[in-house]
Amino acid sequence: MRMRHVWMTAGTLFAGLGGHLQASDWNMPVGVTDVSREVYSLHMTIFWICVIIGVVVFGAMFYSLFRYRHSQGAKAAKFHEHTTVEVIWTALPLLILVGMAVPATATLKKMYDASDADLDVMVTGQQWRWHYSYLGEDVDFTSNLATPREQISGESEKGENYLLEVDEPLVLPVGKKVRLLLTADDVIHSWWVPELAVKQDAVPGFVNENWVRINEPGIYRGQCAELCGKDHGFMPVVVEAVEQEQFDTWLAERKAAAAQEAQGVDREWTMDELMERGEQVYGSICASCHQADGSGLPPAFPALAGNQALLDEPERHLDTVVNGVSGTAMPAFRTTLNPVEIAAVITYERNAWGNETGEVTQPADIADMLSE
Amino acid sequence: MWKTIKSVLAAFFGVQRESRRQEDFTTGKASSFIVVGILMGVLFVVILIVIATLAAG
Ligand SMILES: [Cu+2]
Repeated sequence: MRMRHVWMTAGTLFAGLGGHLQASDWNMPVGVTDVSREVYSLHMTIFWICVIIGVVVFGAMFYSLFRYRHSQGAKAAKFHEHTTVEVIWTALPLLILVGMAVPATATLKKMYDASDADLDVMVTGQQWRWHYSYLGEDVDFTSNLATPREQISGESEKGENYLLEVDEPLVLPVGKKVRLLLTADDVIHSWWVPELAVKQDAVPGFVNENWVRINEPGIYRGQCAELCGKDHGFMPVVVEAVEQEQFDTWLAERKAAAAQEAQGVDREWTMDELMERGEQVYGSICASCHQADGSGLPPAFPALAGNQALLDEPERHLDTVVNGVSGTAMPAFRTTLNPVEIAAVITYERNAWGNETGEVTQPADIADMLSE
Repeated sequence: MWKTIKSVLAAFFGVQRESRRQEDFTTGKASSFIVVGILMGVLFVVILIVIATLAAG
């Protein structure tokens, strides 16, 4: 009777603790997809199995230590072999492990089944930002860290979503199966959003698959989860899940903007227009290495302000931006940036911070060069 | 033969009676244990592949 009471109290305690854990910051999130719920319940099941094993093992150990202590005249049993006990302590863990592997495998199977997706999004990791491309929709953009530099350097108060905010989130429709095709341009990154139970490596030269079907609209934040260099902590992931209608509107807007941008390639741009656009591009793409004032971080990231090679050799400058420099941290931007952005950023770099070449690079020339 | 299989199974499991171990080392032949061990290792892998295929299908 007393034993039963102890078990009931323990049961209530565990149930209460379980509910408490679910809501706390200490545990993994339940998430907003069916898969994430399954992952969470697997995690809790295995957690409680471990707790029970721990209680039984340490309980038996401490009980034995106390009950059969030397001062009470306990004598150690000195037998060598006990096949029955050995069989039990081998078979029991085996059964427990198989018992955990069966539901875990069932969930893994679901996680790997990326077939019959409603929407395909290519996710490309780059030092240090994510690039999203909606396949078959002609929409693609780069998602950069949006946390102001003053917050990072400690000159101003840190915001609520410090280092977890981007200029352009990945927008996805709720209730639709979205297939993610993950790869990287330079080093291994990992696209991780805890609320979606997705943590998938993005490896150069490989395309990894994963998928999500988000149940609730909302903003879900994550990070790069594979140490990828200097700004590894500065390439967050933000997913904005919206209703289908809202998604369609957004997609149409993006397409229209892309079409307009494509038209912009053909016309003549003024110096001021290019400088304005270039400053924008430079700030979100180049400044993390070459710094906002063009002073760089030598020797890894050379200064651009007053850089004699850059000023004397416009061809080489262009080639560096478009094709990158192999063996260094300078990536190729021919796929990440469009002709307007490339022309603008080159014009900016050749005319900002005292670099007064007066040279203007036209988007049309870049477009010609890229199409060759 | 059956005795060798049983000893290999015991080795897979990781538990063996001392008396059986002594017996294996005095009357058994090393080569037969090696051959049966490799064959049963292969068989084990095949069984795992079959289970995995069934589970995936
Ligand atoms: Cu990364």
